[in-house]
Amino acid sequence: MSNTLSTTSRSTKHEVTLLSRTQTSSHTYTGKFLLTLPLGKRPPLRIIVDKRNLLANLLMVGLLMLLTGISLATGSAATLSGPATLGALLGHGSALDIFVVRDLRLPRVVAGLVTGGAFALAGCLMQTVARNRLATPGIVGLDNGATAFAVASVVGTGISLAPPAMALTGAAVAAALTFGLTGSIGVRGYRFLVAGIGVGAVFGAITQLMLTRVSIDAANAAYPWTVGSLNARPAHAVSILSLALLPAVLAAIRLTRSLTVMRLSDAVAIGLGVSASRCRLMALNVAVILTGLAVAVAGPVGMVALIGPEFARQISTRNTVPVVGATLAGAIVMLAADLLGRVIFAPIEVPVGIVTALIGSPLLLWILLNPNARTTP
Amino acid sequence: MTQEAFVYAPADDDSAPDIATQGLSLAYGNVPVIEGLELRLPAGQVTAIVGPNGCGKSTLLSGMSRLLKPRAGAVLLDGADIQRVPSRELAKRLALLPQQPHAPEALTVAELVRFGRHPHQSWLRQWSADDKACVDEALELTGLTTLAERPVDALSGGQRQRAWIAMAIAQQTATLLLDEPTSALDLGHQVEVYELIRSLTAAGKTIVMVIHDLVGACRYADHLIAMHQGQILAEGPPGETVTADLVRRLYGVDCTLITDPATGAPLLTNVRRTRDVLDGSAT
Repeated sequence: MSNTLSTTSRSTKHEVTLLSRTQTSSHTYTGKFLLTLPLGKRPPLRIIVDKRNLLANLLMVGLLMLLTGISLATGSAATLSGPATLGALLGHGSALDIFVVRDLRLPRVVAGLVTGGAFALAGCLMQTVARNRLATPGIVGLDNGATAFAVASVVGTGISLAPPAMALTGAAVAAALTFGLTGSIGVRGYRFLVAGIGVGAVFGAITQLMLTRVSIDAANAAYPWTVGSLNARPAHAVSILSLALLPAVLAAIRLTRSLTVMRLSDAVAIGLGVSASRCRLMALNVAVILTGLAVAVAGPVGMVALIGPEFARQISTRNTVPVVGATLAGAIVMLAADLLGRVIFAPIEVPVGIVTALIGSPLLLWILLNPNARTTP
Repeated sequence: MTQEAFVYAPADDDSAPDIATQGLSLAYGNVPVIEGLELRLPAGQVTAIVGPNGCGKSTLLSGMSRLLKPRAGAVLLDGADIQRVPSRELAKRLALLPQQPHAPEALTVAELVRFGRHPHQSWLRQWSADDKACVDEALELTGLTTLAERPVDALSGGQRQRAWIAMAIAQQTATLLLDEPTSALDLGHQVEVYELIRSLTAAGKTIVMVIHDLVGACRYADHLIAMHQGQILAEGPPGETVTADLVRRLYGVDCTLITDPATGAPLLTNVRRTRDVLDGSAT
């Protein structure tokens, strides 16, 4: 029947290839560097580096250094000049300056950098695998789960694990509950989102309940975890998060290629040889670990997970998954918000969680109301 | 069927792919759709899977492309169970175009087609001269060379479908599985896609497509599989397979079947609802 159409036989199979080889290049890989490393007889290593993303990340590193400098120099104890801050950081100058910069401000700045980066990277990963900008750890209840468990250890409910372990357990329990309720991430992540919001609300209520039933001193000790603050950092929590952040970023970079394809759809990704479920599981695991450990340091500053990736996407090349950019942007947002909270009503300090919520809420509304922004991250 | 017993044989470029199902049972959740299906697909030809809504044809394609894990039985590609072939290896031999895929905003045609090279690349080997040649070839075959830098969502329906097919072509697989490649297209764009599919078969590819358009299937397919309630009712060249009786059993409609004087393909005319089968079950 269709012989008129398929006149060529199977022997012409290779002609197609020959034909196209003679064509001139039709498309160009604009805006990318191709790093090539020859390996003798073996095929060379070739890594594509996106120019715009590289530039954006370098700019953010610069901004981050500037913010770090300002954060170290500014505060209620003393405002130092640039050279004096650097000197104090390196151990020169007055003993008071050295104490203020190295012992009071530096740990806080480091805590801000790692928590901001961790929250935002977790947010970027979850948004990407759920294909929904709203699917950040804070919105799907991980922050609240981690907070509830961390508060439980502080207010002395008899469970005596260190806050990082408790927060991590809480984030994992919240994630497991959300997944248990939905079974899968669903179309565009909506089912996952709705279940997550419910799980988060339950954990939020548990936290409140625990706080009303303990002494005022215990409630005060737990307060930073309920709003999100860099003021009360449990010992070791920062070091544990710092140790986890580097492998997490590397794992995210490793996953980027698969995540970029998964932005299309699961079916397309599987057709292209990506193990969609394994990739999603890995991304979610990284997100849960980062969120749990970050909550142990700073409490639920969930809005950073929304603002950081959004900011990174705005300045990165479209249709890429900017995992490094999101990490850097999260650190910037956290440091800037903490700095703002410290200076705006000085000497009274506004917790960083409240500052990020003030910035993040309009952004959340914008995402909800803007039909173009609502869909894929 | 232990892991040790499985020997994976890499695809030989010149050998035609051999796709078969062996006692294949597929289900969505607890709802069985296909039970114990035995099927062998002709290599180097266009196979069209037709049937009424819910007959299991898309499910079958999902099973063949590993989107859906079989409950029992297996899909065999060159004798190997596809569930046991590493996913990247499978993606070098079998390409899938899902039903009405959606491209993210502002993704260009070239960027989409480059995704087709994904299974041939790795983190440390992201782009090669081969990749470039394959992308150029796919754009050329689909006539999209001049539109390469245009966003996919700014294309017409037919062009957009061609762009997705170009992605599957860039994958350089011997077999292409297409899920309703023409469903959302107008007549002109349908013919555009059908002719592209024919040219791919002429170039040696094996095509399996799930399709609603029985007339199009008769005109453009070499092999037709008619499915009803998860079972194969008839199978063979469209000219020998499609009968008025089959059409009635499949869709619950009567028709007069004539032979298209231009192409020799069976043509359905005077299609009307079967009087005695008003409850929809035509068997």
